[in-house]
Amino acid sequence: MAEGGDVDWELSKENIQPLRRGRAISALHQALSQQQEGDSSAINQQRQAFESELRMYDGDDPLNVWDRYIRWTEQTFPQGGKESNLATILERAVTRFTEENTYFDDPRYVELWIKFAGNCPEPLDIYRYIQAQGIGLKQASLYIAWSEQYENNGNYRKADLVYQEGFKKGAEPHDKLQQFHKALQARVSRQVMMNVEEDDSDEEHKQPERVSLAELKSRGKKKAIAPINRVGSAIRSVHSGMQSHAAPALGNASNSKLVVFDENKSHAGPSEPKLEAWKAPPTSKAKENKQKPGVWCDVKIPLKTKFGHTLMAPPPPKPAFQPFVEESDQPPTMTPCKINPAVNTVLSARKPCREETPLKRLQDHHQQHNEAVSGKPQEQSMYCKELLLSGATEFCFEELRAERYFKKMRQEVGGQKDEASASASN
Amino acid sequence: MTGSNEYKLNQGPDDSISAVKFSPSATQFLLVSSWDGTVRLFDVGSNTMRMKYQHSAPVLDCAFYDPTHSWSGGLDAQLKTHDLNTDQDTIVGTHDAPIRCVEYCPEVNVMVTGSWDRSVRLWDPRTPCNAGTFTQPEKVYTLSVAGDRLIVGTAGRRVLVWDLRNMGYVLQRRESSLKYQTRCIRAFPNKQGYALSSIEGRVAVEYLDPSLEIQKKKYAFKCHRLKEEGIEQVYPVNAISFHSIHNTFATGGSDGFVNIWDPFNKKRLCQFHRYPTSIASLAFNNDGTMLAIAASYMHERGDINHPENTIFIRQVTDAETKPK
Repeated sequence: MAEGGDVDWELSKENIQPLRRGRAISALHQALSQQQEGDSSAINQQRQAFESELRMYDGDDPLNVWDRYIRWTEQTFPQGGKESNLATILERAVTRFTEENTYFDDPRYVELWIKFAGNCPEPLDIYRYIQAQGIGLKQASLYIAWSEQYENNGNYRKADLVYQEGFKKGAEPHDKLQQFHKALQARVSRQVMMNVEEDDSDEEHKQPERVSLAELKSRGKKKAIAPINRVGSAIRSVHSGMQSHAAPALGNASNSKLVVFDENKSHAGPSEPKLEAWKAPPTSKAKENKQKPGVWCDVKIPLKTKFGHTLMAPPPPKPAFQPFVEESDQPPTMTPCKINPAVNTVLSARKPCREETPLKRLQDHHQQHNEAVSGKPQEQSMYCKELLLSGATEFCFEELRAERYFKKMRQEVGGQKDEASASASN
Repeated sequence: MTGSNEYKLNQGPDDSISAVKFSPSATQFLLVSSWDGTVRLFDVGSNTMRMKYQHSAPVLDCAFYDPTHSWSGGLDAQLKTHDLNTDQDTIVGTHDAPIRCVEYCPEVNVMVTGSWDRSVRLWDPRTPCNAGTFTQPEKVYTLSVAGDRLIVGTAGRRVLVWDLRNMGYVLQRRESSLKYQTRCIRAFPNKQGYALSSIEGRVAVEYLDPSLEIQKKKYAFKCHRLKEEGIEQVYPVNAISFHSIHNTFATGGSDGFVNIWDPFNKKRLCQFHRYPTSIASLAFNNDGTMLAIAASYMHERGDINHPENTIFIRQVTDAETKPK
């Protein structure tokens, strides 16, 4: 429990996403109060200012603008979520500099990748891609975050291997890497100790227990009756699934075998692919929450006859009579109703598009870049496309020109002030 | 290469033109808003500038309320109305960010403004005062009135249809059928639908009636593209204007061409000569006898040398604008 004055944030602390670097309390207070008052215009203005800075920047460190923009977004939207647009900004930022080797060992750029990986459904794939591209190979922070990811997945062996890789590459700062590695080792040994203790306590008493889905020896001569005592010797065999007998007591012979998953039999964990040179990042396989909503009503459950054949139900015949239509002078007044996009896809707000993941987009971007360099483009856009679309949100031509106008005005006002003060001091 | 049916307006603005709008009742009065901060009233018949008034920043759109009142807004985020008889200004209200669109709805007698602050505001022109603020999902880039319906085009390629008599909820939420940023939306005079253009040489014709049979009729086509040495050059389509009688429409692009389209037969009726620079805005007058063409570089390719800004007034014939 925090002590001292302002602890209003405690009231909503479950909604505040933690940041690696911690949050500035003043920014947090401002963000929370702004949200309570529903005052979004200040936030929109600040965001527009960042977006225009991204487009107008002509210095030699564009990463700086992206970095500040992302930090501001994190501080201003404590809950994260869609409104912050953080995922899009991160993705644009990392994609923007994938061809710029000068940033590859910049700790800020590596930090962006780590945040991006954290947002992706398969962070480990992202880390492997980073390594393949040669980004951040000398940054301790990369190995630390990567190892943490393995640790979260319960793969301590790999977590340790990552640190070995880091030491091999001479990642800096070395002390930090060692310190975190030692911490990992401490956690791992604690875990091992706990496992060992559990095993010991298991062996002390082992009473006969029922085993699920085991085959039991049946009693009775004519009919197979399940025994009352189903432990120990009553178990005929422990199979990992039900099997159909020669003389089936229930069901048809054509019933397919129900195979019950036995975790002890299957091989331990998915095997890791070999670390070979990656041309493009792998596509993500996680499908949860990535499917866009689509039309549901045309999916039919096929009917089955009693022989197990699949039938399509014949469409209901049209009625032979003419449905009665009441005659009235006026057509029914249009009562306002909400058009349910699930029922009427004609005006669906978001059309279902092919499955897209951040990795797939990175892959496409890579391909496009290679194509543009090698082949001649077929279509040429006769306007400043990059400027319009380069930030995280889009601009129109007028907005771009407006930003240039405002910048010029600010410079002029600044110039006038200088002149005024110069003449005043004379 | 202007023929006798076309002439340039004198005393035009000193900087890019943002919008040209003809008076809804008088066939020869034209309002012009510009990045030089002025709004000018022209009598195109006698080719004279009748009046000019100033904003403190570039003006992005203007509209007639009635023949004697003009409304305008721009980067200073102030909505102004100007009495064209007394030459007097009034500041009606503000938005929180630059005002991008100003339109009038005669059926509901309300002025509508759209802004980059993601809101649409309604204004009662008689008092004049604010009659409501309505949040949109994104920055407003274009809007158009069809009867009592308001069609709003925002960033993120979204299109929203509102009922101006009942702004409590959105009537329809759509996504533009074009893949690129929406540039302009204009409603059909017959109020059946609207034409939508994008920054990548395409126009879509869409219908308001949500029933399936009507929605099947919607379509899109490529336009304002030039083939040069095997590469297709794609230009933004900046302006659309409908002929009030024939329901055909003109489009103007950054390629400097103006095309007239017949949306029912899906044909191009006519293409005029190439203008010196990008077409920023188009306006038919209310009886469809004249078309105002604002040829004005819009800085789509940054700050480069460009021809000067000109407004052409062209007398159009049925041959050019009537469906065959």
